[in-house]
Amino acid sequence: MRAACRSFPLFMKHALLFASLALTLHAAPLDDQYVLGPDSQVQPGVPQGKVTQMPAWTDSKIFPGTTRDWWVYVPAQYAKDKPAAVMVFCDGAGFVKPDGQFRAPVVFDNLIAKGEMPVTIGIFIQPGTFPTSQPGAKPRSNRSFEYDSLGDLYARFLLEEILPAAAKDHNLSTDPEMRAICGNSSGGICAFTVAWERPDAFRNVVSHIGSFTNIRGGHVYPALIRKADKKPLKVFLQEGSNDLDNQFGNWPLANQDMAAALKFAGYDHKLVMGEGTHNGRHGAAIFPDTMRWLWAK
Amino acid sequence: MKAAFFTFALLAAPLAAQDTSLHEYLIEGEDWKEAASGYEFTDGLCNDAAGNLYFTDVKAGKGIYKLDAATGATSLFLDNLPGISGLHIGPDGRFYACHNREQRVIAISMKGEVEVLVTGVKCNDLVVSKKGHVYFTETPTQRVHWITPDKKHAVADEGRVVKPNGITLSADEATLAVSEHGGKHVWAWQIQEDGSLTAGAPFMTMWLPVGKEAAAGDGSTTESKGRYFVTTELGVQIFDPAGRLAGIIRKPVADGKVVSVGFGGKDHDILYVAAGKSIYGRRVKVSGYFR
Repeated sequence: MRAACRSFPLFMKHALLFASLALTLHAAPLDDQYVLGPDSQVQPGVPQGKVTQMPAWTDSKIFPGTTRDWWVYVPAQYAKDKPAAVMVFCDGAGFVKPDGQFRAPVVFDNLIAKGEMPVTIGIFIQPGTFPTSQPGAKPRSNRSFEYDSLGDLYARFLLEEILPAAAKDHNLSTDPEMRAICGNSSGGICAFTVAWERPDAFRNVVSHIGSFTNIRGGHVYPALIRKADKKPLKVFLQEGSNDLDNQFGNWPLANQDMAAALKFAGYDHKLVMGEGTHNGRHGAAIFPDTMRWLWAK
Repeated sequence: MKAAFFTFALLAAPLAAQDTSLHEYLIEGEDWKEAASGYEFTDGLCNDAAGNLYFTDVKAGKGIYKLDAATGATSLFLDNLPGISGLHIGPDGRFYACHNREQRVIAISMKGEVEVLVTGVKCNDLVVSKKGHVYFTETPTQRVHWITPDKKHAVADEGRVVKPNGITLSADEATLAVSEHGGKHVWAWQIQEDGSLTAGAPFMTMWLPVGKEAAAGDGSTTESKGRYFVTTELGVQIFDPAGRLAGIIRKPVADGKVVSVGFGGKDHDILYVAAGKSIYGRRVKVSGYFR
């Protein structure tokens, strides 16, 4: 936590400066106030884990006919004889890139080295697409079907297909307290749905700009949370006051409704409301702090 | 809002037309207007390149009727073909028809010459791809059929789609979509280069009437940017290419049915529905894919 206290105020000063400049001078997007801090940059002397792109997953039984890319990050501190914590990322390509928006492997390197999160294997998965051989046709995305649908289909995809494949070469913890899942937008509601359906397998959720709206019925979660037995989940929500308001719903209201329901039902949860629009800038900027909160005992 | 939509589109997947709401394709003040009337049970809407609309009267009609795009007049276009429930114009310029009453699928030239393609099927509705593959639904047997351009017939899917009914193609003709009359899904398959269907899944979920388990999905069509228009008990339900329900256009007659949908008019921007005794149309801001 000490590292967080050192870096955060400086970053916030910059953020405020950017925000005031943006508002008074340029009217630039409100997202510009959110910038990556030092924990999201490669730091000298910090051991670096290894990211491996896995062979494309093409023979899914749960989502027949789809293909998808996926990557596995293994931290430098990983030892085969000790089960590693597991964190799954929906839309993994956007999280795994070392110079991308979230730079999850870099954040993991830095926080694991400081002992601020457990030795964690990251599994970064793209949504499925249906390839096409027809000239002029584009692959059809199965993302909304996989991420926005309620039910246990995506959880089963992880538990019956991806995790067993990853566990062939890696010692993955089977303790649900040591397993997390993260996503943005539809990936955010997907992360929640996985833990909601299978708290025996995943208990830590990170949602950025989560689509708890009526794309495919996800707007009912606040009502379900209030009326269902409390599940042993820890839920982090990041949302921006200028997020989407469209035919599917109002994202800021939906996330606040989620947080209110989680509070009512006594869940361990945290909502960080910012001012951003529908992108990962804010979530990425606070991602190291989110990891500290998520993995704190 | 444009910027927000743009970033969302980037995040979600680079798909066309995925974030357009109902309010952006309906025109304020343009309501349903009766375009043709005096029938028993209109069905089988399809159009030609000029935007003329063709339809049938399954219960009492004589054949194929035409609603002229230029004059708005209706006439009996082809006589002596009663009991057609599904109609589409193929790449060879012929009608392809579910001749429901005769339990057969036929092709019909514009002069009325009939070629029988398949017999002994309770064909409900069909669509023809640009390559000349015919796909049709057989509602009671829960089958989706495929006829190749060289007239080979196969059952492409069986027993999974609950009372398959309406049928249409994506705007790149790489996806086939079929609505469930007895369920709540619109299924989608990948159309392979040889026309075969793979990877069928309940890709879209229709909104259900209160207290019901079936959406009564029926005739379907495709808009030029790839949105699917599906008639249901609640109205015309619209799905974006990502399979997300974007909106529901209410029926012309609140307690009536809509069973078939298509675009017509010279600019293909009039949305028509078969609603029992009448055909209704309304001008919209989008246009039809099939031309």
